[in-house]
Amino acid sequence: MNLTPNAPRRITMTANPDELDLKDRLSLIESMIAEGRRTTESWGWTFVLWGVAYYVAILWAVLGQNVVAWPVTMTAAGVLTGVLGSRRAARRPDTTVGRAMLAIWFGMGVSTFIVMMSLGISGRLELHGAVAIVGAMLGAANATSGIILKWKMQFACAVVWWASAAVSCFISEIQAGILFVVAIFFCQIVFGFYGMVAESRKRKAAGAGQGVSHA
Amino acid sequence: MPDLPELNPVIHGKLRLALLSLLSSVEEAEFTWLRSKTGSTDGNLGAQLLKLEEAGYVAIEKKFVQRKPQTLYRMTDDGRTALTEYVSALRELLGSAI
Repeated sequence: MNLTPNAPRRITMTANPDELDLKDRLSLIESMIAEGRRTTESWGWTFVLWGVAYYVAILWAVLGQNVVAWPVTMTAAGVLTGVLGSRRAARRPDTTVGRAMLAIWFGMGVSTFIVMMSLGISGRLELHGAVAIVGAMLGAANATSGIILKWKMQFACAVVWWASAAVSCFISEIQAGILFVVAIFFCQIVFGFYGMVAESRKRKAAGAGQGVSHA
Repeated sequence: MPDLPELNPVIHGKLRLALLSLLSSVEEAEFTWLRSKTGSTDGNLGAQLLKLEEAGYVAIEKKFVQRKPQTLYRMTDDGRTALTEYVSALRELLGSAI
């Protein structure tokens, strides 16, 4: 028996181990690890928020003919995401996957904002290019997230965004605009609500089997 | 008869095992999060976390966030090694029991 300070006393299983108890402990480890990982999967609301923000910006820009519609709406959506996200994050632990997600979407958001703003200020922004750039950026971010999270539905959204980016280069300006609105509906609004429902189901399922109250 | 593996008694307690498993999946976690995930009482949870800390498996960081005290727990490299060894030992024992 080892009694050195850094190596705790160990139980030697000399008798027949209680197989059920051992299996119980193994399943406890698996369920707790899954519970910790599940904590990171709560981003459905951000897709809905940004989908609504895109629609607000489109309506404002088209109906109001206002050049600040997109930058103001996107900045407001970014601030809102940051505030709501940090309030949620305060109740959740930090994870590597969580930081990876933040890095991907933050990088994508800032890159898109800088390019679109520069094109807008220089007067070289037109709808085909805008849909192609935004579609390609959202496709890249969704694909990366989908691969990390092993979420096929999100990868499907990436394919839709990539297809929209490619197709927008070959169609009329009005068609490109309609394509953008349709892609937002499926890849932001529908996917966002789907994500929220899936997350809620997982939470309920996980909540049903919790409770480890003794040592 | 082949030698059966040993199970680390520090980890063998169910709540301590649950805590280490939870901490293995996150970078760091707050006391209240661990309490909500394990359904344990404050006293019991604090006592078990202290045992894990004394064994060197968990590191504690105390700080203030928006003027509120926050206690963060993080699994150490020793804790990760101990949990990995424990799982290997469990699997080996289960294999020998079948």
